[in-house]
Amino acid sequence: MPLPAPENLNVILATDCGSTTTKAILIEKVNGHYRQTFRGEAPTTVEEPVADVTVGVVNAATEVGELAGRPLVDEQGQLIRPARDGRGCDIYISTSSAGGGLQMLVTGVVREMTAASAKRAALGAGAIVMDTIASNDKRRPHEQIQRIRELRPDMILMAGGTDGGTVTHVVQTAELIAPARPQPRFGGQYRMPVIFAGNRDAAPHVAEVLKDIVDLSIVENLRPVLEQENLGPARDAIHDLFLEHVMAHAPGYDKLIAWADAPIMPTPGAVGDILQEIARQRGINVVGVDIGGATTDVFSVFESGGQSVFNRTVSANLGMSYSISNVCSEAGFPMILRWVPIEMNERELRNRVKNKMIRPTTIPQTLESLIFEQAVSREALRLAYLQHREFATTLKGVQQQRSVGDTFSQQSGGASVVDNMKLDLLVASGGVLSHAPRMEQTAAMLIDAFEPEGVTELAKDSIFMMPHLGVLAQVHPQAAVEVFERDCLITLGTCIAAAGATRPGRECFRYVVEFGDQRAEGEMPFGDLRLIRLGPEQTARVEITPARGVDVGAGPGKPLVREVRGGTVGLILDARGRPLQLPENREECRIVADRWARALEMYPDLNSL
Amino acid sequence: MLLPFRCLLLAFAGIAGLSVAAQAAPPSPPGAIEVRDAAWDAGTAVDLSLFPSADESQDAPLEYVVQMSHEQNGVFREMPATVESRSSNQVVLRVAGLTAGQEHWFRAAAVNEAGERSAWTAAGTSVSPVQQWFDGRKLGFLAILSTVCGSILAFIALARSGARLWIRRITGLDAIDEAVGRATEMGRPCLYIAGVQDLNEIETIAGITVLSRVAEKAAEYDATVVMPTSRSLVMTAARETTQAAYMTAGRPDAYQEDRIYYVTDEQFGFVAHVTGLMQREKPAACFYMGQFYAESLMLGETGNTVGAIQIAGTAQPAQLPFFVAACDYTLIGEEFFAASAYLSGDPDQLGSLKGQDVGKLVVAVLLFVGCGLLTLQNLAPSQTWAQAGADWLANSLLSSG
Repeated sequence: MPLPAPENLNVILATDCGSTTTKAILIEKVNGHYRQTFRGEAPTTVEEPVADVTVGVVNAATEVGELAGRPLVDEQGQLIRPARDGRGCDIYISTSSAGGGLQMLVTGVVREMTAASAKRAALGAGAIVMDTIASNDKRRPHEQIQRIRELRPDMILMAGGTDGGTVTHVVQTAELIAPARPQPRFGGQYRMPVIFAGNRDAAPHVAEVLKDIVDLSIVENLRPVLEQENLGPARDAIHDLFLEHVMAHAPGYDKLIAWADAPIMPTPGAVGDILQEIARQRGINVVGVDIGGATTDVFSVFESGGQSVFNRTVSANLGMSYSISNVCSEAGFPMILRWVPIEMNERELRNRVKNKMIRPTTIPQTLESLIFEQAVSREALRLAYLQHREFATTLKGVQQQRSVGDTFSQQSGGASVVDNMKLDLLVASGGVLSHAPRMEQTAAMLIDAFEPEGVTELAKDSIFMMPHLGVLAQVHPQAAVEVFERDCLITLGTCIAAAGATRPGRECFRYVVEFGDQRAEGEMPFGDLRLIRLGPEQTARVEITPARGVDVGAGPGKPLVREVRGGTVGLILDARGRPLQLPENREECRIVADRWARALEMYPDLNSL
Repeated sequence: MLLPFRCLLLAFAGIAGLSVAAQAAPPSPPGAIEVRDAAWDAGTAVDLSLFPSADESQDAPLEYVVQMSHEQNGVFREMPATVESRSSNQVVLRVAGLTAGQEHWFRAAAVNEAGERSAWTAAGTSVSPVQQWFDGRKLGFLAILSTVCGSILAFIALARSGARLWIRRITGLDAIDEAVGRATEMGRPCLYIAGVQDLNEIETIAGITVLSRVAEKAAEYDATVVMPTSRSLVMTAARETTQAAYMTAGRPDAYQEDRIYYVTDEQFGFVAHVTGLMQREKPAACFYMGQFYAESLMLGETGNTVGAIQIAGTAQPAQLPFFVAACDYTLIGEEFFAASAYLSGDPDQLGSLKGQDVGKLVVAVLLFVGCGLLTLQNLAPSQTWAQAGADWLANSLLSSG
């Protein structure tokens, strides 16, 4: 059925089929603007006994329909389309991460060059990268073959060599895949989908080596020259194969694909798309994070070298329930304890971690548990962001242009494109952030973990609507952006943070904040946090005069005048410097953490503990 | 009217002054003289400690002349003497230029401003200077040496104990992997030039050290390294180094000896070959590590033209600007020599590098202090201690004599 013209889209039903829950939202045109009006959810039914994902979709859609007073499913269990007489919807779109999402294996010639580009393409398409095979990954060929055989990815992305570059290395990689005879995760009947996006001269040789073994698709080289990445064709091929092979073999997905009016996307890929759309339309740099129980996804869109660069990383072992133990092991208990403003020793912390491991799906019932979880989340987010910054780099292996002025400051390729000073919007989603009892807690977790510098707007995804909007952006970008700004995001406020360091207690910056007929001014000593209440619909004119060497966005020591937006939290002035330093002594650290918690009014009941 | 009168007055005063000087008596001789061997020297100096002449005052200190003889009443000859210290009841003079183990007799006399000399006062005893095992004037030198060597040893011990020693990032060395990776992806060779000088040059040796790393990476990535040399000895050393690197990487089979070859000793003959090779083979990575002269810019520009990532390293200040402008990364002097420690991460080399840094720090501090003292002395000439300090630094602490 052809899609209605964008101006004729009035009712949109979107679902996100997760591993456990299928979430449905209804987007309607209200007074000329697209708004998310109702939402409903139902258990995902991809597993036995139902083994049909559409059952969960119908259940979720039925719930939304009942809430909206608009039947969306007919008596035969089919979605009603188009919308007519207060029934049905104009289009139906969906994302999916059921069954563990899209899992991929990528290969390249050099780990930091074509293999890294292949990884970026796969992650950007919403996949989880299980492993990266490269000539310099320090594994012997038999180990690489063994690894390919052990993994059961949904598909393989092969890259390597520039156009006209090495053929030998690329064919060698194909010769590793051929004897491994990789088996796909779903459906033993079909052959492993392999996308070749490497040196075009090597393509016939690769096809020769892999014929009759895998289902090979050849697309444009994702690194035609080392100076340029061309990830689009590879990402599109991943999406196509995701639908053709992976989804088609999951229970009920053939029906779901037929129902959907736009290609079903992997959930993280859709989140990435909406963030890119927002960054493009508003001309800003965005970082988004989705912290789950087992994994943490970080997305970023930064301007680099005159173009917008999107990156996504999945920190597979950083999460708040199944992976909590790994967070503690990677960060260390003292690092987690530093965020706890109450009396808590390492033993108690250890016990809480073990309890969470035993019962991963529990949610905090006491203030102590909440404080503990939020402390862990800071470290999980910090580590995930660290990994993201290391991955989101400029291209390696690129020629540099020098002048004699560069004698003592030669910068190498591969520098991170993520620059906290240039970050404009930080979006949070995931249970521990979205469901924090107080917005101040979400804001504090974001600031402590990501350490934004200068002026940064903070927001959270109210009901994890970003996947739905990502796929909607493909059909109707304007509608997606409207809903994103009006209903998806809850603006927490703006953080103005000083980068640099001086002695605690010395003046960090002076501020003047004017909003409406009110005016606040004062001095921020180094090491302090201050919250100025500024409502969601309010804006304020802010004038910051930093001390020498301190940068709030206009350069070290230079004053800054900006218009900032308020939010449910308000305007946060952060004079703690960057990077954040907390005292090593536990008691001193607790006092500092307590002072910060009180400054942001994070835990009003803190005195009762 | 007034000028002739003044001139007359001055002339009279001058004549009167002369007549006073002519009428002055020679000063009294110095008091008892005690002589002893100078401590911590090479046996060539003695110290004469004498009671000052009765005519000496704080306002008008007298000069003293010293004479030496090898016999008690032998022939005395005048010796240069420097005042070591002077107080109201003792003047210590240092007489140098003596012969160790030989007996010396001394006598001294006071000399006033008019050049009149007192009667001689002889020392009651003789002295035979003895050669000491350590020259005390080099104590400062010993302190610096101990500090530097001690630091090297301490840092080596620290590195061996597993402590992490921080070394500034050297981008050019980090970029080696990137350059070899580029060559691998593009399916083209890496070109390595170890300068145009022989193995007796320290820069050539440093170049061979870096070659080891490049060759190891090339073996790991399965890339090719081509190395024309302008000296046969360099070729031999490079072959052995490369072979060892391929073995370390576990790829001895991939080593190809004929990729490292001798071209000619002639500077521009060699350059002509290398630039021709670049144009034909279009290497994706070029390394210039060693001593270079006029060819630096020719090589750098040709490499740039063929689109190679270029990493250069030399200690020739005159060639550095050319390399910096034409190459992607340049190792400058010390960075080049530190390459071995930086790349290997070997505790002994790292400790040595850190220890040498302490030595450089000491030198920098002494330079800074010396410049400060001399500047101060120039600004305020009355501050004689500033000049004395600078002299001590130059003549005692840093003197090689």
